[in-house]
Amino acid sequence: MSLRRRRLTEKCFKIATALITWSSIAILGVLVFQILKEGMQWVDWQFITSLPSRKAEKAGIYTAIWGSFYLMITTMLFALPTGIGAAIFLEEYGGKSRLSRFIDVNVANLAGVPSIVYGLLGLAVFVNLFGFGRSVISGGLTLGLLVLPVIIITTRGAIRSVPKSIPQAAYALGAKKWQVIFFHTLPYALPGILTGVILSVSRAIGETAPLIIVGAAAYVAFVPESLLDEFTALPIQIFNWTSRPQEVFHSLSAGGIIILLSVMLTMNSVAIFFRHKTQRSRNG
Amino acid sequence: MVDSIDSNDGIFRTQNLNLYYGENRAVKDVSISFKKKEVTAIIGPSGCGKSTLLRTLNRMNDFIDIFSTKGEIFFQGEDIYRSSQDVADLRKRVGMVFQRPNPFLKSIYKNIVWGPQIHGTKKDLDELVESSLRKAGLWDEVKDRLNDLATNLSGGQQQRLCIARTIAMKPEVILMDEPCSALDPRSTARIEDLIGELRKDYTIVIVTHNMQQAARISDKTAFFYEGELVEFGDTKSLFTKPKEKRTEDYITGRFG
Ligand SMILES: Nc1ncnc2c1ncn2[C@@H]1O[C@H](COP(=O)(O)OP(=O)(O)OP(=O)(O)O)[C@@H](O)[C@H]1O
Ligand SMILES: [Mg+2]
Repeated sequence: MSLRRRRLTEKCFKIATALITWSSIAILGVLVFQILKEGMQWVDWQFITSLPSRKAEKAGIYTAIWGSFYLMITTMLFALPTGIGAAIFLEEYGGKSRLSRFIDVNVANLAGVPSIVYGLLGLAVFVNLFGFGRSVISGGLTLGLLVLPVIIITTRGAIRSVPKSIPQAAYALGAKKWQVIFFHTLPYALPGILTGVILSVSRAIGETAPLIIVGAAAYVAFVPESLLDEFTALPIQIFNWTSRPQEVFHSLSAGGIIILLSVMLTMNSVAIFFRHKTQRSRNG
Repeated sequence: MVDSIDSNDGIFRTQNLNLYYGENRAVKDVSISFKKKEVTAIIGPSGCGKSTLLRTLNRMNDFIDIFSTKGEIFFQGEDIYRSSQDVADLRKRVGMVFQRPNPFLKSIYKNIVWGPQIHGTKKDLDELVESSLRKAGLWDEVKDRLNDLATNLSGGQQQRLCIARTIAMKPEVILMDEPCSALDPRSTARIEDLIGELRKDYTIVIVTHNMQQAARISDKTAFFYEGELVEFGDTKSLFTKPKEKRTEDYITGRFG
């Protein structure tokens, strides 16, 4: 290929990728703009602190915010240790055994299972078998299962990206395997693991279908006080409002979406903060 | 061939040692002995098995699945591949400095104390840090920023830190695999000086591609060729009156 042809191809490719990037950002922008335009009128202190109501002017999202918050805490308390543990096992101890390859394939597949299937699983196992009922813990554990593959896969990737020279240096000092993993591999992999957390929270907080199946209530007049309490969640509340016939509730749901996005960003910003901090210390 | 060594006097001694990667025999029938408080240089063309032999001495080859040994290696009279060998303990006593500096992603201070800490040292860590850094000739450059990230040091400083980290373990032997190959001439000179200092207290085995370096810093030199130990003896005589044709060809730069 001549130099000019090559330059031209290069340029076309660059333009094409830029076009794709900008058009997706534009679509996102339109979406956010629409939601803000419709929902901003509702978002105020009263909206955040009021209980759900049949009258749109009085309706608020208080219980749903706290419901979602507690759900995410439960989800992460379950999924993080389990997922990181599984990733360490698969990466560091699993070797090439048949079992680990079997788990490997299945984890990848599980990441693609429709969320409603997790809902059914949660209903059968947590609600009925374990007898947790239609509670925060049932919902949290179900969402935890849902994000587990994501956490396992991102953590494994993060562990794999640790340069070999680091564990090597530690082993050469006579370190045991667990010491190498605990003191060097995991801290080094932390930014990658936090990316997994961010992805998981973002996914879990918007999930609606599995929560409906597990039995999130549309109307809950109190903030859950224990793990076994009934709960509602932001996407449930939003879904509930959009399915009402009155127009006014549709724009109310846009307000709910704004809150949902804010809660998600708030929770993720913690992870983003730590990721930024750990990455900075790495680059010096 | 291998003469002029008293095989019982070595801190490390191998007997008809063969090292394999799968079917490939990388080190062939090597019997060699490294003496206490001597610097032994291992030289030879690329791929002749220098690193393989070195990594066997502290069993860092354990991490390569297809690696296997035949023959014996004794450290202080004990076979290091016997099943009751505590590998962590061996590595604690036989330190290693790698080709590329590989400090931990932690502070300078932490880099030094981590090894001793996991082996139970709790007291006098500050003194340990200072004395190790002094021995490695790095103290003056870093004494005011011990809590800075070690990875922010220059390459030469990082390598000296890695040496300090190894010294802090108070090992009996230090293995070095081309420790200067990623460094500039000035850092290299500093490390060579450092090895000159360390030889008083430690047994050192160093792999190098740099013939002048081997001649400058070592007491004994071993020349390997295609996995075989061709010649081993006093550095001076090996470089001035090589007994083997292949040694002469190599040190005069006719191949390799
Ligand atoms: N991890 C490995 N797996 C398989 N074969 C290997 C491995 N490491 C080294 N070898 C082979 O063993 C032989 C000796 O390699 P080694 O690294 O010991 O050579 P070297 O003398 O250190 O070379 P250099 O001077 O280039 O570092 C080579 O043929 C090499 O291909
Ligand atoms: Mg080598």
